[in-house]
Amino acid sequence: MIEQLAKNLVSLKKEFAKNYDGKSQMQEVIPISTSDSFPIKQQDLELLHQFATKNPIYYNSYEQTIDNTKCIVYEGDINKYWLNSIQHGSSNAPFSPTWIMSAYVAVLLTKELGYSEIIDIGSGDGRIAFCAKVLNMEAYSVELDEQLVDLQKILVTTLDFHPFCSDATTFDYSSFNLNHPVFFIGGLAQMGGVALATGVIDKIQSHDFWKTTGWVFAGTYSQKYAPDPKNEAGWGTLIEANKLGKLQTISLPTVWTFHETDETPYIFAESL
Amino acid sequence: MSSADEISSMFDSESQKLENFLSKISDNLGISEIIETYYQVMNVTSMISMLKQQLDSENHKTILDKINKTEQVILGKFNTEAHPKILENLTNSIQEMTKILQSSSGEKTKEQIENESQLFEELRKKMSTKEFVEQYDKGLA
Repeated sequence: MIEQLAKNLVSLKKEFAKNYDGKSQMQEVIPISTSDSFPIKQQDLELLHQFATKNPIYYNSYEQTIDNTKCIVYEGDINKYWLNSIQHGSSNAPFSPTWIMSAYVAVLLTKELGYSEIIDIGSGDGRIAFCAKVLNMEAYSVELDEQLVDLQKILVTTLDFHPFCSDATTFDYSSFNLNHPVFFIGGLAQMGGVALATGVIDKIQSHDFWKTTGWVFAGTYSQKYAPDPKNEAGWGTLIEANKLGKLQTISLPTVWTFHETDETPYIFAESL
Repeated sequence: MSSADEISSMFDSESQKLENFLSKISDNLGISEIIETYYQVMNVTSMISMLKQQLDSENHKTILDKINKTEQVILGKFNTEAHPKILENLTNSIQEMTKILQSSSGEKTKEQIENESQLFEELRKKMSTKEFVEQYDKGLA
């Protein structure tokens, strides 16, 4: 069901991107109501819309029917966060989010895989952690960029996904009392993601919860980047080096693939 | 036409293209002009290095003289004068644009946000051009 939901979201994005003639730097869509293509609880959809309407990165929204699905289109701009991150060198990769709907689908899959806590690493505006709360999972969001954490603080008034302004590679995760956690690593492998993931893995490997930990990595097959010799959309070498077991891959729309034909592959793995 | 003639003619044509690019260098050089100029400099530089290995001073004096002349143009006019100036202009322009974009705050209309977004796009292009020019600079060191 989740794989089909992901496919339907990709089709929706492709149809939307084909006809989009706006000028916004970033744009995404969220269906208004539950439907056969998007069998999502109405209450969950409403929370996703709340996240977008409260979020200052979006400056415009309008209703549009795409492929028979009534949606709200959200238009946004993240340039000032990009400028801040390059000015202060405060992050491994500049903020560029996944779609809110993609965050929801990816978190839904981790829930189906049996994980109970989500730790969103390099969380940007905290959308993955927010979706975890929507799906009644425990959530923590770790972000290095102070400006982005301030943004998250605006958004926790709907659901508290526990934002922390910290370097994820030095953070003390034992304070979370984790049992069956899954760590989302947002940055692409080639954009500082490997260093970030390695730092987090080194930090938690000695903990009791290591053996029950899951991982979600955002990958890319873009020819802009040198391919990883072990594949997995840039993550193969890290997966092998840390003896992780690959569980599944799903492709989902992200802001950075809006104009691309290939979506972003999310690699789900587990500690062995 | 002999092989030496062909080489000479090809080199003439490429060095002429280079001279054209160099003659157009100004403080207001656009990003695509900067990239094209550097590519032509690199193209002619590699040609010179290849030809110098293949040609001998006894049989190819004329073309070797041309090569030396062009080499001096690259070393003098481009590497010493134009290239540092291009890098300096890019650095200043990036600083200026960054300052303008940082100081822009407050409520904005959809149109203002989208116009400003184009400036951000231009800034990103200038930054990657600067990285490209800096790579050339590293090769000179």
